[in-house]
Amino acid sequence: MPGVLELSVDAKGRLTELRTVSETAEAGDRNARKQLRRLVCSSSPEVIAEASDIAGRAQWMLVKTISAGEPLMQEALQERMHQMRAEIASENPTPLEVLLTERVVAGWLLVEVLEGLICAQYQRDVTAHRVPPGHVIQQSRILESATRRYLAAVRELARVRKLQASGAPASFRR
Amino acid sequence: MALERRDGNIYYYLSVRHGERVCKIYVGAGEFARIFAEGAILRRTSRKAQREGEKAELERLEALVVPVEELSEAAEDLVRAHLVAAGYHRHRGEWRRARSA
Repeated sequence: MPGVLELSVDAKGRLTELRTVSETAEAGDRNARKQLRRLVCSSSPEVIAEASDIAGRAQWMLVKTISAGEPLMQEALQERMHQMRAEIASENPTPLEVLLTERVVAGWLLVEVLEGLICAQYQRDVTAHRVPPGHVIQQSRILESATRRYLAAVRELARVRKLQASGAPASFRR
Repeated sequence: MALERRDGNIYYYLSVRHGERVCKIYVGAGEFARIFAEGAILRRTSRKAQREGEKAELERLEALVVPVEELSEAAEDLVRAHLVAAGYHRHRGEWRRARSA
């Protein structure tokens, strides 16, 4: 049974199918490409909608964590995210662009939250217990991985925009 | 570390490993041994609580990461499916449009 921040079993199954057929089509199978076009038309809008919904809930969870219940901080973060979305998403974005924009915003917020939580440890009373190096290394790995994903999200959105501008394939048209 | 009772007295020893051998080092007897043993129990409990706190903190960080990771993976699969369906293919990591597409 998936949690509120997980894709449903159905969406996961559709993604697996999309991945499998994409691999076959990329290997040069023309029938697989036709099947993929049908799948993209039939499955992807629902999966995109569900993933966008999860993005929104994940962002809310991160906002609650970093604001620690302070309403002003929550408002400020939500306004900042709203501005980011407006800056990142082009005019009349496709559903896929909306999802990629949400991914960039969620990635940025996650990096901010992790940096905030890790920095807070160093600002504790110096007489308090020192964080062991192994713990710091593990935290740094989590932060590094989140930063990498965030940068990958920015690159992916830029790539999709560039491809849309150059070729404007049917599935990307607004 | 151990508290030992012999002939009605209590003695406190530290266990120290030297390679494959473990040596017992005498620390003290009587009331001093009891205080030292209680201090050792407190230190052990405190270290265990610290370790558990650190583990819980890492789990908390990982729980924040999971939904964003899942979102990223879903987005990557969807982008790939859209691009391949639109006639693109990857050439050395770069997406290119097939001439026939």
